[in-house]
Amino acid sequence: MTVHSSPQVFLFLSRILGKKIVDREGRPWGQVSDLVVSIADLYPPVTGVFFSPTGRKSTSRIPWQKIIEVGDRVVVDLLPPDDPLAATIGGGELLLKDSLLDKQIVDTHGAKILRVNDLHLLQVNHNLRLVHVDVGLRGLMRRVGLEKATDKFFQWFFDYHLSDHLIPWRYVQPLSSSDLLRLKITQDRLSQLHPADLADIIEELDIHKRSEVFQSLDVETAAEALEETDPKIQVRLIENLNPARASDIIEEMSPSEAADLLGDLPKDKAEGILNEMEKEMAEDVKELLVHPEEKAGGLMTTSFPSLPPQATVEEALNLLRRGAESLDLIYYLYVADEEGHLFGVVSLRTILMANPRATLADLIDARLVSVGLEAEKEEIASLFAKYGVKAIPVVDENNRIKGVITFKNLLEVVAPQLGK
Amino acid sequence: MPENRSGTTTTADAQKISRKGFWRTLAIFFALIGPGIITSNVDNDAGGITTYSLAGSEFGLTLLWTLIPITAALIIVQEMCARMGVVSGKGLSDLIRERFGAKATFYLMIALFFTNLGNTISEFAGVAASLEIFGVSKYFSVPVSAFFVWWLVVKGNYKSVEKVFLVACVFYVSYIISGFMVRPDWTVIKTEFLTPTVRFDSRFLTMAVGVVGTTIAPWMQFYLQSSVVDKGLKAEDYQYARMDVILGSVIVNVVAFFIVMLCALTIFQAGVKIESAKDAALALAPLAGKYCTWLFAFGLLNASLFAASILPLSTAYTICEAFGWESSLNRKFTEAPQFYGLYSLMVLLGMGIILFPDIPLISIMFYSQVINGMLLPVILIFMLLLVNDRRVMGNYVNGWILNLVSYATIIVLIFLSGAMIFTSLT
Repeated sequence: MTVHSSPQVFLFLSRILGKKIVDREGRPWGQVSDLVVSIADLYPPVTGVFFSPTGRKSTSRIPWQKIIEVGDRVVVDLLPPDDPLAATIGGGELLLKDSLLDKQIVDTHGAKILRVNDLHLLQVNHNLRLVHVDVGLRGLMRRVGLEKATDKFFQWFFDYHLSDHLIPWRYVQPLSSSDLLRLKITQDRLSQLHPADLADIIEELDIHKRSEVFQSLDVETAAEALEETDPKIQVRLIENLNPARASDIIEEMSPSEAADLLGDLPKDKAEGILNEMEKEMAEDVKELLVHPEEKAGGLMTTSFPSLPPQATVEEALNLLRRGAESLDLIYYLYVADEEGHLFGVVSLRTILMANPRATLADLIDARLVSVGLEAEKEEIASLFAKYGVKAIPVVDENNRIKGVITFKNLLEVVAPQLGK
Repeated sequence: MPENRSGTTTTADAQKISRKGFWRTLAIFFALIGPGIITSNVDNDAGGITTYSLAGSEFGLTLLWTLIPITAALIIVQEMCARMGVVSGKGLSDLIRERFGAKATFYLMIALFFTNLGNTISEFAGVAASLEIFGVSKYFSVPVSAFFVWWLVVKGNYKSVEKVFLVACVFYVSYIISGFMVRPDWTVIKTEFLTPTVRFDSRFLTMAVGVVGTTIAPWMQFYLQSSVVDKGLKAEDYQYARMDVILGSVIVNVVAFFIVMLCALTIFQAGVKIESAKDAALALAPLAGKYCTWLFAFGLLNASLFAASILPLSTAYTICEAFGWESSLNRKFTEAPQFYGLYSLMVLLGMGIILFPDIPLISIMFYSQVINGMLLPVILIFMLLLVNDRRVMGNYVNGWILNLVSYATIIVLIFLSGAMIFTSLT
């Protein structure tokens, strides 16, 4: 058999379910009740057919190799009574009707939660593979049994040709069982989403799915998504984790976000997590926790670059390069002595243009805008507006730098409703 | 060392909690209440008030006792919904879709849409009737109130909307006040309330069925379960959800009690014939004073407006959830077109139909109750199958006693709904 001559046929699951199963001699066996696919492939192949014998409630499984033809009827190459197996599925296998049909999925391309109306399968050679998920109105009406009537109505009333709304399987994240979420391939799918979209999806899920999805994420994705999640839901998600895993995730967050979150947790839970965290990060966070959330001390992050005035531009560049991944802010480098007394600021632009051997003292801009730990958010906001800076340092009464408020931190407090 | 420290903190916290135990419980309760009380109060809508005032003015105090079993039935049915919401974290239409498939869900949603549309129409009829008592034309009152309702939901967010709704619940007190204004003889009322009377004439039975039918409606199961889910209650908080449901069911019947009593002591005793809630309000003026009429009419307005905003909202939620369409008050119109589309369509149709001249309002209200009665058994059966499904409910399935009671309740309700449909069609 050659590939070229083999016909490609698209089939809908709703059309296959309920089909009569007969053997070669045409003796009736029962009806198709579900299909089993092996989920490891990019386009999962059907590996078995569940059927219920006529007049009985029990189900049995037929291996896909024994299926000769899927036409008006499903013809099997079996002789009673030996061949059908018990109706079980292996690890890495999935029942299409049971786990997908009518259930919710995440469309990772469109970043939406949708409900599955039908499943679209492609038959090439002897293989039947799951290729699309149908989430459209036409799929729904097909299930109801009014597909043709709906088509005609749309054509007649709106002069509109209603087409199927199909989503390729590679963009689909099933949600129906926690086993599915633990699979390697599916984790990758969710981490492809933008953290803000992932956070929206997590917020929209019900409380059980929410923590299942969250727990399936790798630490980095979980931390990114958590930063974008509504504070109330953040607390719920972290409360369900053990302190070790929770601290792993919180360590990946920026110190100011981490402090806000820990501040909202019950006290003993927060302490449990702090004990598990790396010492340095835990101390930063504890320092931030002392300050009220809406004042400068609570808004600031402690993850910012700072060097003494005698440091060279080359040292500055190295520091920024090394810190670029984890620092909350790299656009400004603050110039301060060992005790933290703040002298001024050098912007990344200045550093990039400067001679590598120059010292920061040569480049320093001493016309610095800073605020005290107790500054209110309105005051900080007006400073941002007036001076057009991207970040404002926070200093104590002795002019020692304690942290930096980035524009993002401010925006979240001043205009929390935006972007929701 | 750190363990030691956290250890002492926990004991200190525990002491604080036990000292403040009562207040803490109370605070949690107030944070978590809402869904049950709101649902039950919406239930005393225009149709409900009409039925109660007809019951009181036609049969006096004889139907008062039915409110006791009705309260029990309401608690049983709503408790199952609240439990399903808390345990599964999903709405009722979501569960029905996942368990019973697309076809059954599709037809159920169509039926629910028309039932709720009928109810919405009768809410706007209630608005029109109550404001006509104050001399406001329906051509003014209905469009203005429809716009108000639409604006409240589309432009507000869920938190503010819920607060407005909770405040609306307080205004039901107006019925209790008007009940006291007629200075009832409590000993007589107590006897009537506690002695069941059944008369086997068809008008009496129809009215009894009507009182039951108007109190337990299909839409409320969907609304209650979704709002419980929306609140994000956890299984540990379930006891609060149950208190909320019980409190709501009792409040709704206390209000019903006062309406029936008020009409029985005035209109029934004077022998006046009435056909609607508006008639009842107007008949009260010569018997109990004009303030009583005003209070009654104000209560009707509040109830109708309240239900007119929740019914279309609940319908849109339910249908979108079943079909997987975006549905949230926190989305914009373009992000959730089906949701806002359905909502606006229901408000528009509900308003538009009332504005037709010579519309037969009383039969519209009546037939919407009949469709309610037809749909209710179907939904109750779905609910019982779901609440006993271990895949959905885990260990929170009904126990056998509860199953016995709920099956009995549901069989009685099905029988009564059947009787109501039968009597109304013959």
